[in-house]
Amino acid sequence: MPHTVVDANPDIAMLLCEGIEMSFGGVPVLKGVDLHLQPGTVTALAGENGAGKSTLMKIASGQYRPDAGEVHVRGQALPAGSTKAATELGVAIVPQELASIPELTVYENLFVGREVRTRFGTLNRRAMIKQARTSLQEFGLDLDPTVQIGALPVGMRQIIEIVKATSRGARVLLLDEPTSAIAEREVAHLAEVIRNLRDQGVAVLFTTHKMEEIRSMSDRVVVLRDGRLITDSALTEITDDGIVTAMIGRELENLFPDLGGHTDEVILQIEDIVVAPGAEPVSFTVRRGEILGLAGLVGAGRSELIECIYGIRKPVSGTVTVSGQTLRPGHPGSSIAQHVAIVPEDRKGAGAVLSMSVLDNATLPRIAAFSRFGIITERKRKNAVGEVMKSMRLKSNGLGQHMENLSGGNQQKVVLGRWLTGAVDTLLLDEPTRGVDVGARSEIYRIIVDLAAQGMAVVMASSDMPEILSLAHRALVMREFSVAGELTREQLASPEVQDTIFRLASGLDASTTSLTEEPNQ
Amino acid sequence: MSITNADVVSTQDSRRWTSMIGDFLIRHIMIVVMLLIVAFFAYRSARFATPDNLLTILIAAAPFALIALGQTLVILTGGIDLSVGSVIAASAMAAAWSAKNLGDNPIYPLIAAVVAGLLAGAINGLVVSRLNVPPFIATLGMLTLASGIAYVIGNGAPINGLPASYGMWANTGIGGFTIPVILMIVSIIAFAFIMRRTSYGLRVYAIGGNRLAAEIAGVRSKGILFSVYAISGLLAGLSGLMLSSRVITGAPNLGQGYELDAIAAVVIGGASLMGGRGTIWGTAIGLLLIQTINNGLDLLLVPAYWQNVIKGVIIVAAVAVDVWAAKRRK
Repeated sequence: MPHTVVDANPDIAMLLCEGIEMSFGGVPVLKGVDLHLQPGTVTALAGENGAGKSTLMKIASGQYRPDAGEVHVRGQALPAGSTKAATELGVAIVPQELASIPELTVYENLFVGREVRTRFGTLNRRAMIKQARTSLQEFGLDLDPTVQIGALPVGMRQIIEIVKATSRGARVLLLDEPTSAIAEREVAHLAEVIRNLRDQGVAVLFTTHKMEEIRSMSDRVVVLRDGRLITDSALTEITDDGIVTAMIGRELENLFPDLGGHTDEVILQIEDIVVAPGAEPVSFTVRRGEILGLAGLVGAGRSELIECIYGIRKPVSGTVTVSGQTLRPGHPGSSIAQHVAIVPEDRKGAGAVLSMSVLDNATLPRIAAFSRFGIITERKRKNAVGEVMKSMRLKSNGLGQHMENLSGGNQQKVVLGRWLTGAVDTLLLDEPTRGVDVGARSEIYRIIVDLAAQGMAVVMASSDMPEILSLAHRALVMREFSVAGELTREQLASPEVQDTIFRLASGLDASTTSLTEEPNQ
Repeated sequence: MSITNADVVSTQDSRRWTSMIGDFLIRHIMIVVMLLIVAFFAYRSARFATPDNLLTILIAAAPFALIALGQTLVILTGGIDLSVGSVIAASAMAAAWSAKNLGDNPIYPLIAAVVAGLLAGAINGLVVSRLNVPPFIATLGMLTLASGIAYVIGNGAPINGLPASYGMWANTGIGGFTIPVILMIVSIIAFAFIMRRTSYGLRVYAIGGNRLAAEIAGVRSKGILFSVYAISGLLAGLSGLMLSSRVITGAPNLGQGYELDAIAAVVIGGASLMGGRGTIWGTAIGLLLIQTINNGLDLLLVPAYWQNVIKGVIIVAAVAVDVWAAKRRK
């Protein structure tokens, strides 16, 4: 249950970091950062990937030992590198990757490590369930504590992680990208939970990539860039542009480049693809130079459609034709041979092999082009990959660097760039900027528009509304694995288009009578 | 300046040579461990550091080297091959049977051993890649099955009285370098090349690192998976031939437990049992480490049972040191 005692002395910072310095393998990540959090405040920690946000959080929660500097919690020095001491002093962190154990129930997750026992030393499940229910209700969650946590949507699991942290007496709550994996409606719920905690005197620090969330959730914003604290400002005293400029170190004149025109030559032809049993068949064409946006709610079937086109997933029926050649369903190899390229949604799970180097990752899809009789021609692939990565402005310590040590934006550049060592006619993009920071995001937009202008037919699924509106020549709105509507460039430019897309995506348009809500997952 | 460095933000500072040596030692910690063990045995036993004894170590290492190489490939895909010990026995029995029943020609046992090993490996590969049975289970089944076959072939007894030509495979050679030693050296170099420089090697690493991502990039993971088990079986077959040729006997309990030494060699060499990480050179070092310990303890006249105790401790300690060093590297 939350400990809601507000600290007596508001002058003592809840969390005080002084002169924090840290480097990994000789590369400085934090170069002397000071940060203080007052009780009852919500602070947004902004910055591009690689700016040092996560590292700072890990130091504040005792996971890393800084090279220099001190952390104080409510006036007490935190022994460096001790998570146990941090927990005891009331610092809790909810990491980006969910730490809940999916096979256990909600209450088991809440109590693991500090189980309630009976006199005989066995688990007192009844007491734990009762306490869990109380804790959940205090956060406005009407949830059965005995359900398996893996069955819940990601956003709910995130909130339960917060419940877990605060019910252990946390006074400082660190949230690393709490919204990166959850649906919009759940974000609102999360914001409410955070406000609630603030009112109880908890000091909250969270990281995010999204400006709306900085605006709606926090009252102060701190910007890190290249390991230094650039800006520390009350939210009311800084503009959005000011925050972005602080993050990327230059003015961001225009996030989206201008769209070029497209030809009438049809490259990709989708005929009567049935993505899932019972769904309406989907048909459309994409022309050379055209970017087709796929909009829709999470779970509308956009990723599944892209997987069917590429051949990782077999559609129930229907055909995919690229430049007049019909692809073999379920055979990525035949798609690659027809110059189809894909950037999957789940970069770490499906896009990159993190344990391999940039060079090896970039060689993989076009390996035949770089080898003779099965032996890799080292110079050839280094030249080709080096040239592509140079044009993509990849930031790395060389092509031999392991993917796992790159930032999200740079990983994405490799996952996209690896196709460009050969011809690409059809480019399939699934959430191309997920987990990518603002600076790299505009670079990726530029690359996408350039590639289309060079003559690719591009299909881009995105949950980011501005991407669909600004980057697509045409958009399809998907619902229940089918196309609910199509929007032209002119319609995409009209002011009420967001409303139209939402209505189509959620099935609220006049043509349907169903008013049931879409599932989120 | 090559193109590869053109876009690179260099973070390499000029460092002092002392810290560079420290860096090198941390990076190649197993070589340090190896040198320490060699130094210890050389100090304690006058016979240890003689050319004759080094050759003895190599001869003892050869049959292990073959199965450790196959094991490395399997482990790189994230699998494991528990069956190699039994496949050694079954192949040795098949080879001995052929020598006894088909005639006095050393080609027969070679073919018999290769076919037996390849067949066992292919079955493992099919069960893992097509039936999606977890490798641990599939090869555990083969371990039992192949051991059974080995006893069936000999009717429960060893096959003795083989023609002298049977001993050719293990006992001929050039200047003390017998066929198994030469085969070991050639195989290590060949596999190091394959894993480092060929598209096949890259695909093996890719599947082990992230099978889904590899498939999306066009890698046919089922074929690759099949191949690593087939290769492991083939090498176990050859290993069986070498071992039984040395004593000119087919024994159904030959190679028992060898799979564990092979796995230990791979793991000492720095490979991850999760797949995707590890090298052939690492395995070679791991293998030599284990064989050196075996040999050194023999020379020091340590009783056999105590040898196992010491070996067990050293294996775990060596990997613990490696894990520690890996942390320091970051």
